[in-house]
Amino acid sequence: MMWKEKYKVGVPLIDEQHKELFKRLSEFIQVVQSKIPWEEKLESVRETMLFMKEYVIIHFEAEEAYQEKIKYPGIERHREVHAAFKEEVNSYVTLFEQKGLSEEKAQEFSAKLMTWLIMHVCQMDQKIGEYVENKGGEIQ
Amino acid sequence: MKSQYVNSFYQATQDVFRLMLDINLERGELQVIEDMISSKDANVVLGVTGDLKGMILFGFPKKMTLEMVKIMSGMEMDRIDGFVSSALGEIANIIGGNALTTLAKSHYICDIVPPQIFIGEYKAVSMANEKALHLPLMTSIGEFEINLFLKEKE
Ligand SMILES: [Fe+2]
Repeated sequence: MMWKEKYKVGVPLIDEQHKELFKRLSEFIQVVQSKIPWEEKLESVRETMLFMKEYVIIHFEAEEAYQEKIKYPGIERHREVHAAFKEEVNSYVTLFEQKGLSEEKAQEFSAKLMTWLIMHVCQMDQKIGEYVENKGGEIQ
Repeated sequence: MKSQYVNSFYQATQDVFRLMLDINLERGELQVIEDMISSKDANVVLGVTGDLKGMILFGFPKKMTLEMVKIMSGMEMDRIDGFVSSALGEIANIIGGNALTTLAKSHYICDIVPPQIFIGEYKAVSMANEKALHLPLMTSIGEFEINLFLKEKE
């Protein structure tokens, strides 16, 4: 289980999506790390990776829409950080599409996703929750 | 080498360890060293360019590395493979980025060169006869080290 209580932002919509995000990431890592010959698991690695990528985009859009709704002052910076990360994800997907999926690159990609998402949720996303709380916590 | 550089990296390491791993650091005694050698099981080198030039070498024992990745992934790891070493490299990268943000507030504008990871390789980093600093750090999951070699641009 990757999800931890400390990742909670305090906004139900964001927390539910983060749980789902970590669940999908965990599935992706498990497939990449499973002790099955690479060629045999290639198809499921590809599938879980594409799921993951789609969900990252869905989640970023929802989180940004929420920030807009609550007039969150840090939205511009947050958008930039999301955009930079989406670009990084896309560069891996493009690499996989053009050169095929190597085990080494899949491991690198899943590790980066994990580290980045944990850091982002623990640091930047927490600030959204703090803002909501300072406003009295009534905005959902 | 100014203590300010060491403090920026120490502070950033402590913040990232607390935030991502829920681990506290205890600082050991700072030492001056002649050679920067990657002598631990897992080593990450970050190059620094800009107003400060040099490199930062993080060294971790195997058991600690596996435990760190287990805390993040919730999965048992039994060896330092590409997944584990990439995760470690990313943590070092985040620490470096945060340290540079602190240094930028003191008007040192620097950049980080993407991390290089050496697993079980003893490699000396050339410093052209200059000295480096070695900072041991203790945690509940093991002891690791940061070695710093930074010079101000002339
Ligand atoms: Fe976010």
